[in-house]
Amino acid sequence: MFFHNFKYAFKTLIKDRMLLFWTFAFPLILGTFFQMAFSNIENSETFQVIPIAIVDNDAFHNHTFLKEAFQEFGKEESKNQLFAIKYTTKEEAEKLLNKKEIDGFLWIEENPKIMVNANGINETILKYVVEEILESEKIVKNVVSFEAAKYITEQTSDEEIYKIMAEVGKNVLKMQQENNPTIKDETSANMSYTMIEFYTLIAMTCLYGGILGMVSINHHLPNMSSNGKRICISPTPKGKLIFSSVLSSYIVQLFGLALLFLYTIFVLKVDYGSHLSFLILLSFLGSLAGLSLGIFIASVFKVNENTKIGIMISITMFWCFLSGMMGITMKYIVDTKLPILNKINPANCITDGFYSLYYYTTYDRFFYNCIRLVVFSILLLFIAIIYLRRQKYDHI
Amino acid sequence: MTIFKTFLKVLNKCKAPILLYTVILIFFTSFNMKTNENTMSFSPSKPKIIIVNKDEFVGVTKDLITYLSTHCEVVEIENIEEKRNDALFYRSVNFIVEIPQNFHKDLLSKKNPTISIKSLHDYASSLVNRMLERYLNIANSYLNLELTEEELIGKINETLTTEVKVEIKSELDTESLNKMALYFNFTNYCILAGTIYVLCLILSSFKNKSIQKRTIISSIPYKKYNRILLFSNSLFAFLFWLFYILLSLVLIGKNMFTMHGLFYILNSFVFTFCALTLSFLLGNIVTNKNALNGIINVIALGSSFLCGTFVPMEWLPNSVLFIAHVLPSYYFIKTNEILKTLEVFDFESLKPIFLNMGVLLLFALGFVIGTNILSKKKQKLA
Amino acid sequence: MKNCIEVKNLVKEYKNVRAVDDLTFEVHEGEILGLLGPNGSGKTTTINCILSLLKFSKGKIKIFGKNMEPNAYDIKKDIGVVFQEVAVFEELNVYDNIDYFCGLYIKDKTKRKVYIKEAINLVGLENYQKFLPKQLSGGLLRRLNIACGIAHKPKLIFLDEPTVAVDPQSRNNILDGIKKLKEDGATIVYTTHYMEEVEILCDRIIILDKGRVLASGTTDELKKLANIEEKVTIEGVEISSTILEEIKQFKNVDEILYKDNILFITYKKGKNNLSELMDFLKTKKVVYNKIFSERPTLNDVFLELTGKELRD
Repeated sequence: MFFHNFKYAFKTLIKDRMLLFWTFAFPLILGTFFQMAFSNIENSETFQVIPIAIVDNDAFHNHTFLKEAFQEFGKEESKNQLFAIKYTTKEEAEKLLNKKEIDGFLWIEENPKIMVNANGINETILKYVVEEILESEKIVKNVVSFEAAKYITEQTSDEEIYKIMAEVGKNVLKMQQENNPTIKDETSANMSYTMIEFYTLIAMTCLYGGILGMVSINHHLPNMSSNGKRICISPTPKGKLIFSSVLSSYIVQLFGLALLFLYTIFVLKVDYGSHLSFLILLSFLGSLAGLSLGIFIASVFKVNENTKIGIMISITMFWCFLSGMMGITMKYIVDTKLPILNKINPANCITDGFYSLYYYTTYDRFFYNCIRLVVFSILLLFIAIIYLRRQKYDHI
Repeated sequence: MTIFKTFLKVLNKCKAPILLYTVILIFFTSFNMKTNENTMSFSPSKPKIIIVNKDEFVGVTKDLITYLSTHCEVVEIENIEEKRNDALFYRSVNFIVEIPQNFHKDLLSKKNPTISIKSLHDYASSLVNRMLERYLNIANSYLNLELTEEELIGKINETLTTEVKVEIKSELDTESLNKMALYFNFTNYCILAGTIYVLCLILSSFKNKSIQKRTIISSIPYKKYNRILLFSNSLFAFLFWLFYILLSLVLIGKNMFTMHGLFYILNSFVFTFCALTLSFLLGNIVTNKNALNGIINVIALGSSFLCGTFVPMEWLPNSVLFIAHVLPSYYFIKTNEILKTLEVFDFESLKPIFLNMGVLLLFALGFVIGTNILSKKKQKLA
Repeated sequence: MKNCIEVKNLVKEYKNVRAVDDLTFEVHEGEILGLLGPNGSGKTTTINCILSLLKFSKGKIKIFGKNMEPNAYDIKKDIGVVFQEVAVFEELNVYDNIDYFCGLYIKDKTKRKVYIKEAINLVGLENYQKFLPKQLSGGLLRRLNIACGIAHKPKLIFLDEPTVAVDPQSRNNILDGIKKLKEDGATIVYTTHYMEEVEILCDRIIILDKGRVLASGTTDELKKLANIEEKVTIEGVEISSTILEEIKQFKNVDEILYKDNILFITYKKGKNNLSELMDFLKTKKVVYNKIFSERPTLNDVFLELTGKELRD
């Protein structure tokens, strides 16, 4: 009996095109969109050279410090390159600025001046670098005069002073160039936030998979479908039938999820961290949460099947939105400002679980997410069972 | 009148999805639109950083922190490693600086203490990195002068006072223009999904096989019938558009009453018209309500992802933008992007905008022709 | 005679409507009981209550002498139901649908195969076994609906308007099938608002209206309630009022109605009314197109009892 029902539940589910679209095809399509849209986004954020212009007048030529420094910063293919520099006349620089081909230009009249189009980080960097160069000039002057003072006595001739100054100046400059302060970069290698988008996609698929469970429950409810009436008057215990139907929808669901994993791993090259067993555990629990949600909605709400699916899709979309599907900022805001909301949000538990596998080396956070998913599932299933135990209806 | 009444009834049933799209729109825009007083003078961008100080808050350490604090926005956060890492990963801060124990003492005794950082490696964090290096460089440079800590700090600060004058050339209110562009780019998703969803749902009721049989055998010519339907659809689309315009007035405010705002409104109007004809075409092709839901999502999300609603256009790979040319949304968003940086309204600069609108209208024409061809063919039921 | 079903004082109330109002009746073993009534008279609600799908406000229901409960599986295994609406899986083909529902009753696979085959033969779907429901015509779909309900050879079968919107060929096929089920020893409860079917098929009839029993008995018993014996209709006739008056004076004539060249005459009783009338018309040289006589129908019974037509 169990297997008989299981077999047919399976058959019905995999022949329902609408179901297959939402649970199998839609995530794949969305994943492809993600890949297309996000493939470049992180590259465009990482630091690249800033296009600027410098007005190439006499004042600039005479300002050795600025000239040399900008030569260094503008050197192409060099590790230190900061700017792509065009040396132009002032009129041309203004034209370039108008056309937005450069972010700003440097122009020395009496003092160095910067013209920009708007407030922005690139403009700030330009300002900052110019200040930095001017400061190092100041430092050199300060240090040189101090160092030189050690060798200069009242007897020292002007010629010697000049020599000493030049010597010391050279040393100071050399020292400045060599003296790299020790800053250790401890950034994690796994900083790609577009991964979060794919994690929310997995979360969405897990929860959408619940539609399968919902549909199979509907098949057993006499007030939802005429098939339900027929099944209800048969001499087979309801619990047994529902359990086998739900089990088969869970398996179909996992199958869809596996498909998405294969697609994202091998075609879209998504990185899920290196722990296969944890990955599988989280997927199973995530799907279970989706399944419970589907069963919950199917048994508690007394509306027609399409409305139930509508509720399911809307809730899932909203949860995915909170867990960062339409921009990870949302997830962080909720995580920090209203953490409870995301703690009970299964889409976030799934997303956050994958995130913790990807970004962190410890597993506490991962397991907390797993536990929350389990609690979520048990709670919903418990309520659903209370409703499902009812055998007679006021209305059919 | 009957058609109009039927419309209102079906519309009433579509409250939920419309509400959902709108709530998401409001959420999205209000989170991305922090209102700042816009000034025409230059104010340097301040990267967001977290400072973890394991040293005492004295001497050079104190000075370094003060220096970073004046040039960066220091984010206060619970002193938990995990919270900091989350903040960095979710781009809430650009940079984390960790000052080690005994930093100021080690620095003075030329032990060259190590400062650990975590960085997003973006523009803003490269700026923080420069600041940090600059401060340490200056400090190191003056170390040989054998100064006391106070003297050293004094020297450093004296050096750091250098300031270069920056002038802003553009007279555009970039902030509010960005806001507008963001809002209207996002309406791409809402208008597309909303109109297609609602109109297709209504149309699929009208195009239901047995109802269609009746209209086919009725004496109304198919073109006229389509025109009547198109008119009532237009009315809905117009109201829908009006709603989003009113919403923009609420969210963006008086800046909507500028030339820029006007053009944004005009552009969205043209786009809504295009979306309307598209949904009319779809409503004629797809009669299965279940299939409809899937198609809407694929079209609306696809157009939004590929044309720059969720991810700004400038960050999309060229190959994707190339494909996007076949989608109406591309021309809508392209216009929004052009408007964002448009300084003067003369024929030359408006040409690309009108060109884009022209393309949208061509799309609309194509959809209308397609609809008529299809419904002519469908006059005979298969 | 043993009672298969006993319904006592059944009351079912929806918010403010009494759908079933103090209903009491029995179904005897081996008979076909017809539940006849217009739309909304409570036929389906009664069946759903008997099947223990619906909660009801008052009353007692026994099947095979035992109380019917949602988990009275020993009762349920002998019941088959054909619902008014087609209850099949869109995704499964004809054979799989029957197999699925039959499988809920019959575990033995080989036995099931035989049963399914018999059910398919009974409703005449041999050539459509691999078809999906949406590929079937309305009549064939109804037949599938029946096959799904009766494949497990139940002792008690509920048929809830199985012939609604069905072409004549399928209807005959279905009615034949039902007769065959009775021959095999099944007890059948048959609801419909087609009185012709009831007349042909049922051993006993219960007429329902507004959730109450209006009358019950065999066809003949019920027809006596109509208070008329014979109806004669003459079409295409032109008749003077004097002749009409004369006809009215005939013995046994209950009522006459002359309208649009058609004359209706109803008789209270009598055997040779028609020939008598024809002779009379001959002598008066009245010409007519067509004359025919009918026995009263259940519609007349219903009309008599409620003052309204059975069919709307």
